[in-house]
This record gives sequence, structure tokens and C-alpha cells, in this order.
Amino acid sequence: MSVVCELAAPFVANSAVDGGEVMRPFRVHATTCLKCQARHVAMVRIARQLAAMEGDRMSAPLDLEWRVMSSLEGDLALASSWRRPLAWTAAIVSMAAAVLIWRQRPRPVS
Amino acid sequence: MSNPPDPSQVEGERESELVARAQKGDRAAFAALVRAHQDEVYTLARRLVGDPHLASDVAQETLIRAWRALPKFRGDSKLSTWLYRVTVNTAWTHKKRAARHRASPIDDHTEIAAAPYDAGAPEFAGEILELRGRLRRSLDRLPAAQREVVVLKDIYGWSHAEIADSMGITVTAAKVRLHRARARLVKDLEASA
Repeated sequence: MSVVCELAAPFVANSAVDGGEVMRPFRVHATTCLKCQARHVAMVRIARQLAAMEGDRMSAPLDLEWRVMSSLEGDLALASSWRRPLAWTAAIVSMAAAVLIWRQRPRPVS
Repeated sequence: MSNPPDPSQVEGERESELVARAQKGDRAAFAALVRAHQDEVYTLARRLVGDPHLASDVAQETLIRAWRALPKFRGDSKLSTWLYRVTVNTAWTHKKRAARHRASPIDDHTEIAAAPYDAGAPEFAGEILELRGRLRRSLDRLPAAQREVVVLKDIYGWSHAEIADSMGITVTAAKVRLHRARARLVKDLEASA
């Protein structure tokens, strides 16, 4: 196997997957080299199988839905636009409560 | 007499109705969406991270993130496409987390070839079945970064720009990775033939 075949390998693979020609420096070699042509044919088959794999489905773990839904317990479905104002309101209210408590602390009679 | 409605269109309408309800906080509607898409999400997660346990965690986190981000989903793309993006981002986050804690299980996995694929498809026969088995094992042996690019480009048909965007790399880097991954895939398959 020549060094040129090795250098051309990724370009041959890309050409097989994308359907275009092999990039210029390796084009002549790829059209005359039996090894590269065999690789091209193999890669076309591989590309077809890879594309067909999109339709394959692995079964998700049986408890996945339960795990997801139980994680959402207590998770409010708030629109993102509401989250920030709500966080600010909560912060202001808790600050006001803290100031109120602080002001009503028992003070020494002077 | 009117023609019967196209089942995929009916499904799409039903799904957009479920999405609209879930966006308003209807958990039952979201549960139905989870049931409909969990296999797709898990399959992509498994292909990206390899390890089944990690893939399960990625799928769980993806669906939780999806629930939280659902109000932002405007329906410009299909829900499954949007979920794929969330899955890729989540897998990426998990990968970075795993790298930080090092004992990353991302590259030591061998079970993917034995995963329960849908064997009802007509193409699952003889030579093709064997080729797919070898292909899955070869994919599995690719370094994680290269595998992700091949999975997204050659299996899911994403563009280089989409891959680069979701992985936080440049388009050139995505092309180079794909270049290397394909070359490695061909060599690995030749060696295993």
C-alpha cells in the first residue's frame, strides 16, 4: 500500500460520502489506483449504512419517563420571560422582610 | 368524497397541540411528548457518549432541559430536531463534566453493538446486518470528538456549520475532525474485515 493511498484516504472517503469528485491533488491517483477505488466503493456502502442508521431506534430505559417526570415535581413551568421578574420580586420581598425584622428588634431602653 | 388525512400530518397536528399544552405547564401533555421522543433522544445520546448509563443520564437531563426551555420553542423546526440540539448540548456538558472528573466512561464502552435495535426493518439481513454491526463497533472505537462529528454529519445529516455551532468549534475544525474520523473509520473497517 503506497503512502499516496494513505494520504488520499480521507479525500476518497469524503468523495464517496458527499458524491463529489476526489480533491485535485489526489484525483488522478484515485481514478487509477485499484486500492483507492476499492476504498471508494467500500465508503459508499458505509455512507449508505450510516445514513440508514438514522432510522434505527434503541429503546430508552423503561424508567426514563418516570425519572424525568418525577424530576419535574415542584418545577414550575414558567415562561422564561417571567423567571427574571419573579426572581427580582422574590429578592426584593425577602430584603424588605429582613429590614422589617431588623427594625423591630428589641432595643435597649435609654 | 374527501381523501383521508395524511397520518403524519395528523400526528404533527397532535404533536403541536401537545407542545402548546406543555408550554402552558400541562405535565400530562409533556409526558406524552416524552413517551413519543424518548427513544430518539436516548439513541442519539447513546451514539454520542457510548456508555449506556451515561446516555441514560444525558437523555434524562435533555428531557428536563427541554421542559424548562419549552416556552422558548417557537415551532420553527420539528420538535425532534430541536430535541436533537438539546441532546447534543447536554451530551457536550456531560462530556466536559466527565473530563473534569477524569474517570470518563465515554471511551470505554463495548455494549453499543448489542443494543436492541429495531430488527423489523427489511434491511436487517445477512451481509448488511454484519456490516452494520462492524460499523457500530468501529464508530464506537473512534475518539469521542471524532465520533460525535461522524454521528451528526453522516447519520443525522447536519451541516458542518450546525455541528460547529453545537460543539463550540470552528467550521474548519469540524471539517478536519470529520476528515480524520472518516479515514480512521475506513481503516478500522478494513482491519476488521
